[in-house]
Amino acid sequence: MTGTTPFAFEFAPAIAALPFVSFLIALAFGDRMPKGGALGGILATAGSLLLSLWVFVTVSGGSAYVHDIHTWTILDAGGALGDVNLHFGLLLDPLSAMMLIIVSLIALLVHVFSLGYMNDEGETGLPRYYAGLGLFTFSMLSFVMADNLLQAFMFFELVGLCSFLLIGFWFREDAPPSAAKKAFLVTRFGDYFFLIGVVGIIATFGTSRFAVVGDAAAAAFPVEAAKVLGVTEGTATAVIPGGMDPQLWFTILGLLVLGGVVGKSAQFPLHTWLPDAMEGPTPVSALIHAATMVAAGVYLVARMYGFYLLSPTALGIIALVGGFTALFAATMGVVKKEIKQVLAYSTISQYGYMMLALGAGGYVAATFHLMTHAFFKALLFLGAGSVIIAMHHNENMWDMGGLKEKMPVTYYTFLSGSLALAGIVPFSGFWSKDEVLYEAFVHGLGTAGTQGTLLLVAYAFGLLAVFFTGFYTFRMVFLTFHGEPRSDTAKDPHGVRWNVKGPLAVLGILAAVVGLVNMVPVKKLTGANIDFLHKWLKGPEALKAQTSVAHYTDGDTSLLHEGAHYVAGTLAGGEVGTVLISAAVSLGLALAGAGLAYRLYNVPEPVEHTDKLGAAKDVLYNNYYQDEFQVFLAERVTMPLAKAADTFDQSVIDGAVNGVSSVSLFSGRRVKRVQTGLVTNYALLLTLGFLVLLVAMAATGGWF
Amino acid sequence: MAVPAEYYLVLSAGLFCIGLAGILTRKNALMFLMSVELMLNAANINFVAFSLYWGNLTGQTFALFTMALAAAEVAIGIGIILVLYRNFGDVDVTDAVGMRW
Amino acid sequence: MIDGTIEALLAVTLVASFAVLVSPDRYAAKLATALSLLPLAGSLVMWSGFEPAGNALVDGESAIGYMSQVEWFDLGGITLQWFVGVDGVAMPLVVLTTVLTTLALVSAWTPISERQSQFYGLVLFLEASLLGVFTALDFFVWFVFWEAVLVPMYLLIGVWGGPRRKYAAIKMFVYTNVASLVLFIGFVALVFGLGDSVATFGLPEITQALRDGVAPDGLPGVGAESLKLFAFLAMFVGFAVKVPVVPVHTWLPDAHVEAPTPVSVLLAGVLLKMGTYALLRFNFTMLPDIATDLAVPIAVFAVVSVIYGAMLALAQTDLKRIVAYSSVSSMGYVILGLVAYTTIGVSGATFQMISHGLISGLMFMAVGVIYNVTHTRMVSDMSGMADRMPVTVGIFVAGAFGYMGLPLMSGFAAEFFVFVGSFQSTVLPSAPVFTGAAMFGIVIVAGYLLLAMQKTLFGEFRLDTDYEVGRAAFHDVAPLFVLLLLVIALGVFPDLFMEMIETAIEPVASIGGGA
Repeated sequence: MTGTTPFAFEFAPAIAALPFVSFLIALAFGDRMPKGGALGGILATAGSLLLSLWVFVTVSGGSAYVHDIHTWTILDAGGALGDVNLHFGLLLDPLSAMMLIIVSLIALLVHVFSLGYMNDEGETGLPRYYAGLGLFTFSMLSFVMADNLLQAFMFFELVGLCSFLLIGFWFREDAPPSAAKKAFLVTRFGDYFFLIGVVGIIATFGTSRFAVVGDAAAAAFPVEAAKVLGVTEGTATAVIPGGMDPQLWFTILGLLVLGGVVGKSAQFPLHTWLPDAMEGPTPVSALIHAATMVAAGVYLVARMYGFYLLSPTALGIIALVGGFTALFAATMGVVKKEIKQVLAYSTISQYGYMMLALGAGGYVAATFHLMTHAFFKALLFLGAGSVIIAMHHNENMWDMGGLKEKMPVTYYTFLSGSLALAGIVPFSGFWSKDEVLYEAFVHGLGTAGTQGTLLLVAYAFGLLAVFFTGFYTFRMVFLTFHGEPRSDTAKDPHGVRWNVKGPLAVLGILAAVVGLVNMVPVKKLTGANIDFLHKWLKGPEALKAQTSVAHYTDGDTSLLHEGAHYVAGTLAGGEVGTVLISAAVSLGLALAGAGLAYRLYNVPEPVEHTDKLGAAKDVLYNNYYQDEFQVFLAERVTMPLAKAADTFDQSVIDGAVNGVSSVSLFSGRRVKRVQTGLVTNYALLLTLGFLVLLVAMAATGGWF
Repeated sequence: MAVPAEYYLVLSAGLFCIGLAGILTRKNALMFLMSVELMLNAANINFVAFSLYWGNLTGQTFALFTMALAAAEVAIGIGIILVLYRNFGDVDVTDAVGMRW
Repeated sequence: MIDGTIEALLAVTLVASFAVLVSPDRYAAKLATALSLLPLAGSLVMWSGFEPAGNALVDGESAIGYMSQVEWFDLGGITLQWFVGVDGVAMPLVVLTTVLTTLALVSAWTPISERQSQFYGLVLFLEASLLGVFTALDFFVWFVFWEAVLVPMYLLIGVWGGPRRKYAAIKMFVYTNVASLVLFIGFVALVFGLGDSVATFGLPEITQALRDGVAPDGLPGVGAESLKLFAFLAMFVGFAVKVPVVPVHTWLPDAHVEAPTPVSVLLAGVLLKMGTYALLRFNFTMLPDIATDLAVPIAVFAVVSVIYGAMLALAQTDLKRIVAYSSVSSMGYVILGLVAYTTIGVSGATFQMISHGLISGLMFMAVGVIYNVTHTRMVSDMSGMADRMPVTVGIFVAGAFGYMGLPLMSGFAAEFFVFVGSFQSTVLPSAPVFTGAAMFGIVIVAGYLLLAMQKTLFGEFRLDTDYEVGRAAFHDVAPLFVLLLLVIALGVFPDLFMEMIETAIEPVASIGGGA
C-alpha cells in the first residue's frame, strides 16, 4: 500500500467479527436472553451494514485494500515455488464492497423478519436459529472479503455447513434433515472439484491470491497466469504438471473450480438440492438460498474473473451451463404448486443468467444482476414468508387466492419484486437482465467460430427463459393474491406485524429502483452518462492502476479481447439499434409470458392448465427426473457397491485372515493326536527319530 | 590286549537293544525300570571299554557316576511305580494315559 | 549422558500405573485421572520448551531434544543402549498421547464399573508404553515399548470388551504380533547387513549410515539392493498392519467394536499412529531410494485404503464400525502424504496423525456417550437423539463435520496439506491423478456420516432398546468439548504443530528426492 491506510479499512475485520460475536452469544446465552438472541444478531448485522457502507464510501473515494490478517501456515513447497504463504486476508475493492452491503443489508432485514416469522410464531430452539444465522453471516462476509482462493474455499464450505444447520432447523420432522443432507452432499460433490482446483492452483502458482493492490510484493494467480500465457507482459513462475500446455492446464483448473460454483449456485446438473432446501425456515431461504450463499458461486467466478478470461473454453462452458440452467429451471417453475418451490426454481434460473453473463464476458452485467436479484428475490421470499404466516404455514398456492385485499403491504411489495423478476421496465430486473442478454448477444455476434456460436446458443436459451419467467412469476402472483379465496384460511388470514412489513417495504423500494444505477440502454440511446455501476466497478483511474482486479472489467480493451478473444458485434443499425432490438425482444417475451399468465390465471376461479401440456406435464412435475437420477446413483449404484465391498471385505479379506487361523487350529487338532499318553509310543518315536537321524547323518557323512 | 574293542561294543550294543526292546514291548512298569537299567549298563560298558582302550580314567569315573545316577533313578522310579499302583491298582503303563490331548 | 526429562515422564506414568493398580476400586477412576495430569503437564512443559532443529534420525544429536543416551552392554559387535529423545515429529505425538489418555480416562468414568483399578492401571501402563514408542531412538528400546503396547491393549479389550471380546482381542494380538515379527526380521537383517558400519541399534546411526550410502552387504550371499528391498517390504508389511492399510485392516473394526469406549479412543487416536510414525521413521527416512522406487504401488495402496475404507464405512449399520472403517480411510491420506515425499506432503501426513487422533477420539467418545444411555450402537435402533441429548448431539455433529474436513477444523488443514503435498510430488508419477482420486474420499465421508446422522440424530425420537434417555453427565460431555476445542484450535492455528513438524520433515523429504 502506498500512503496511509484509510481508516475504514482498519475496521473492516469487524464487519465479519460482529456476527461471529452474535453467534457465540446466541449459542452460549441465547436461551436466557429475550427474543432468543435475535437482538444481538440485529445489532451485529446493523453494525456490519454501517461498516460496510463506510467501506463502500471509502472504496468509492478511489482506494482499495489488501491486507493479511492471520497467517494460517507457511508451507515449504521447495523448487521454484519456495515458501507458500497460506493466510486469511482482506480484499476490499468495488466488487467486495458492493457484495458486503448486499449481504449485511439482507442479513439485517432477515433478522428483523425472523422476529415475525420465528419468534411471533412461537418456535422453539430459537438460540440455535439465531446462532446459525450469525455464523452464516460471519462466514459469508468472510468469504466476500477473502483475498485468496483458499480462504474463499474455507468459508465457502462453512456457509455450506450453516446452510445444512438451518435447512435442518426443524430436525424433529423427517423432510428437513433429509433435505439438509442432500444440500450438503450435492454441494460437497461440487466442492470436491473446487478443492482439487484450489490445490492445483496453489501447487501451480504457489499462491492463491486474487489480486495485488499497490506494489506487487506478492503475486496473484490470475496475474501470474496472464503472464504465463503472454497476455500481459512480465515473467512468472508456474509449475505446470506433466509439461502440459499452460492454456489447457489453466482451463482444467478453471473448470475444477467451476465445479464448486455449479454446486453452490445450483447450476445444472447440481441444482437438485436447492428446491429441497426450501424445507428450511423461509427467512433462511431468503437469506441463504436466494440472496447470498447461492450467489457465492457467481461471486467467486467474478472474483477470479481475470483467470477465467484466459480460457475461452471455460468461458464458453460457463455461458452454456448458465443459459441452459436458466431455461431448464424456468420450465420446471411453471408447474409448481408451492409458492416457495416456484421461487426456488426461479432462483436457479436467475443464477443461470448470471453465469451466462459471466461466460459471455459481461462482468458488470453479472454483478449487476447479482445485486438486483439479491434484492428482489429476498423480497419475494420474505413476501412468500409473509403469505405463509398468513396461511398458517400452508404453502400451496391453490389454497390461496384473493390475498390482495387482506394484505396490501405484502401484495404491493411482492408485485414490485415480481415485476423486477419478470424483467418489466423500469423495475430493477429489467435493466440487469437486459444487460446480461445484451452482452451475450453482442459477443455472440461479434466473436468468430464455435465460441460465438456457443454464445448465441446460450443467448437463445436465456431469451427463451425470459418468456417462462414472465409466465411463472405472474402465475404465482395471480394464484396467490388475485381471484377468490380458495380455502378458509385464505378467507381469514393471520395478520402480520411491523417486523414483517418493514423489511418488505425496504426491499420493495429497492427492487423497484435499484436498477436505475446502471441504465446502459438509456446511456446508449441518449448518451447520458448514467451507467454508474459500470464506472464504479471499474473504479476511478487511480484505483485501476492500483488493483490488479480492475483491468478485468475494462471491457473489450484488455483481457476480454486478449485472453478470451471476445469481440462485440452489432446488428444492422449499429450499437443503438442492437440495444433497442435486444431490449425490445426480451421485454416483449417477458410481457408475453406475463400476458399468458394473466389470461389463464387472473380469473376468479382459476383451474390447473397443466393437462394441456400432455406428456410434458409429468416430466416437468418430476423435474426432468433429475432427482430420481441422483437418488438412483446414490441408492441403486453407490449403496449396492458399498454393500458388495462390505461382503467382499467380510468374506474374502477377513475370510483369508480367519482362514489362516482355521487352518492353524485344524492342523493343530490333527497333529496333537500324536500325543497318546502311552509312554511306549513316545519311546518308539524317540527311537525312530534317532534312527532316522543316524541314517541321515550316515548318508551325508559318507559312512556307506 | 586279548579282547579287541569291537567285542565290547557289540556286547554293549546287544545289551542296549535288549533294553530298548524291553521298553518298546513291555507294559509292566517294573520291566521298564529293568530295561532302563540294561541300557544304562550298556553305556557303562562302553565307558569302561573306551577307558581301557585309551588308557584314560575319565571313562571309568563316568561309569561310577552313571551307577549313582541309575540308583537314584531306580529310587524315583520305584516311587513312581508305587504311586502308579496305588492309583490304578496295577503297574501297567498303558493304563496311565491321562496326560495327553 | 542422561537428560532425565523423558525418563521422568515415563517413570511418572509407570509409577502412576502401578499405584492405580493396587488402589481400591472406588478411588481408581479419580486417582488415575488425577495422576494422568502429571504426564500431561510434563509433556506440555516439554512442548513449550522444545526448540525444533531438524530431524532426529537424519540430523542426529543436534536435532534431538531432551536426549538421553547410555550404553548398556555389548552383544557381540552391537552395543545395546538406552537412547531416547524427541524431535518435531515425536513431540506432537507425545502431546497427543498424554492429552488423549487423560480425556479417555475421564470418558471411562461412566462405562467402566468392574475391576476399575485394573482398568485404569492398564490404561496408564498403555500410556507409558506409547510414550516410550514415540520417544525411543534405539531400535531395541523402541521394539520393547512397541511390543509392550500390545499387552495392556490385549487385556483391555479381552476383559472389558463386548460380547465377542475374546475373538477381537486374540485377533488383534496375533495379527499385530505376527506383523511385529516380520518387521523385526526385516530390520535386524538390515542391521546385520550393515555389519561393522554400525556399532549400535541407534536409529540415527543406522539412518545416517544408510543415507550416506553405506551398502548393507554384510550378509553372505545377499546383495545390498535386494537386502534393502527385503527390509523395506518386511517393515512396510509390519507397519501396514498397525496403520492399517487395506488389505491387512480387518482386525481393526473387530477390535473397535468390542473395545470399551476409552480403549477405542486410544486405539484409534494413538495406536494407529504408531504404524504411520514407524513407517515415516523407518521406511521413508532410512530407505528413501526404495520408497521412491515403490512410490506407485504404495500410492495405489493409499488410494485404495481411502476409497475402499470409505465405501465400507458407507455399508455399516453400527456407529462404531462406521467410525472404525473411516479410520482406515483417513489413514490412507497419511500414506499418500508420506509417499509423496515432499515437505508439505510428509508434514501434512504427520499433521493428519495428530488431527485424526483428536477427531477420531472425539467421534468414538461421542458414540460412547450415546451408547452409555441407549445401550445400542445400531443405526436402525434409534432416531431423533438430538431431541433428548442436545449438547452431546451438537458436539457429535461438529465432530462429524470435522471428520468430513470442514475448514477451520484440524481435519481440513491436515488433508489440505496432504493434497497440496501429493499434488506437487515429483517422486510419484501422475501425482495429480492419485491426489484427485484420493480426494474423492471427502465426498464419500460426507455421504456416510450425513446418512448416519440423519438416521440416528434427527427425525422423531425413537429408541428400540427401551432405556430411559436423559442428558449425559457433565463429565461425559466435558472431554468431548475439550477435544472439539482442540480440533478447532488446530484448524485455525495449524502452526501450533505444523512449524515444528516441517522443521523435522524437511531433511527427510529433501534428501528423499521430492520437490
